[in-house]
Amino acid sequence: MAKNYIDDDTFLGRWIAGALSKDELKAFEQSETFKQFEIINRESQLLAGPNIDTETALQIVKQKLQTGAKTSKVKQLWYAIAVAAVLILSLGTFLTSNKTYTTAIGEKQTIRLADGSVINLNANSSLSHKRFFWLHNKVVKLTGEAYFKIVKEGPFVVNTSKGAINVLGTEFNIKDRTQFEIKCYEGKIRFTKLDNTDTTKDFTLTKGSQILLDHSMIKEQTFKEDTPDWKTGISKFTDQPLSIVLEELTCLYPITFDINTIDTTRLFSGSFTHNNLENALQTTLIPMGITYQKPEGSPIIILSK
Amino acid sequence: MLEKEPSVCEEHNYNKLFRKFYEPATKYIYYKCGNFQQAEDIVQNVFIKLWKLCNTITYSKAKSYIYTACNNLFLNDVAHQKVKLKHQKTLTDTIDYESPDFIIEIDEFRKKLKAAINTLSVKEREVFLLSRVEKKTYKEIAEITGLTVKAIERRMSIALRELRDILGKDIKV
Repeated sequence: MAKNYIDDDTFLGRWIAGALSKDELKAFEQSETFKQFEIINRESQLLAGPNIDTETALQIVKQKLQTGAKTSKVKQLWYAIAVAAVLILSLGTFLTSNKTYTTAIGEKQTIRLADGSVINLNANSSLSHKRFFWLHNKVVKLTGEAYFKIVKEGPFVVNTSKGAINVLGTEFNIKDRTQFEIKCYEGKIRFTKLDNTDTTKDFTLTKGSQILLDHSMIKEQTFKEDTPDWKTGISKFTDQPLSIVLEELTCLYPITFDINTIDTTRLFSGSFTHNNLENALQTTLIPMGITYQKPEGSPIIILSK
Repeated sequence: MLEKEPSVCEEHNYNKLFRKFYEPATKYIYYKCGNFQQAEDIVQNVFIKLWKLCNTITYSKAKSYIYTACNNLFLNDVAHQKVKLKHQKTLTDTIDYESPDFIIEIDEFRKKLKAAINTLSVKEREVFLLSRVEKKTYKEIAEITGLTVKAIERRMSIALRELRDILGKDIKV
């Protein structure tokens, strides 16, 4: 009997597919190796392939597609742009950031600017200017009160809550509290009111002249002293409402007033010192016929008639 | 009038193809390389490519693309490696069964059968497993592998002969 399965190279393949002729099959079934092939065939068909989780794989593929090379390059570009933008913005913020000087109540400070100008900052005030490139555009912002001694070199601008003061090498004092007052001690300055767009309506101040802004009305006055009182350690008042005097006191001493029924519109003429609270209170309040109580350890001064 | 073919670029069509062909393609590659993780990676990459090329592959051509691409990736990826099926480790030393009649230890035999299948060459193993485990006809296998039915009959015959050579002594008739 011919060993078909060896001689015929497709014989076993055809047997598996059931494609053998009747005679071929009969002969094969009687061969001694048939049983072995049959067992191999039978057992092979009992084997199981791997378990495959198609849905999970689909999710994985979709994730890979989203984070695939093409999109990630675009994303990387966006990240780079974002990082660059943040750097530019933060550098820009730093370059355009302001330097601010602030004085607390009762504190005074002398500031020397990059161009050599000197500013004396009175108590409870602040001055700020650009940290970089300030010399190209000399602008400072003031709240409170300060005395300016500006060098004669290029334009200099002081911005306040009430308007701008243009300067060319001079000395002047700005007080921007409840009361707004500019005093020119040297040279010439120009005041542009905040809401004023017509430059012909600007006020020009020369040595010895001052302006007082009262309910947006500008009063021009003259004065005689050559340096602001506050710089010498006293505050002087001439026919000023009591409220302004009390405000000045709260700027220079860490106190607040309990006004009670006191009429603060009454006018006061006189002065107080900056280095002795008891003395300052006596010199301002007693002439006005006001008594005061100062509870121990409390910043509140209680006023009464 | 020609009926317009569904576009592979449409997600529901793509999902349909995935659900239809992911499993058989993964098994096909698994039978070739013997590493399930590798098989899944290959087939998943093919499906990623299919999505990217969805404009150029028609729905009816997707099946042959998937199998061809899987095979190509497999050849690129692992053909150079010595490939063995995972359950290779269950191979035990050949024990000569003294028992007179039949196979006693059917479990032992199955382990040996798997081990023997592992030793087949890739060509024979893929055909043998697609036919015996996946119960595919030679025509279907021919479609997947790109071979002729004649070639498959030949490879099947070789596979069976080799398995018998290895296992014959374990089968006492």
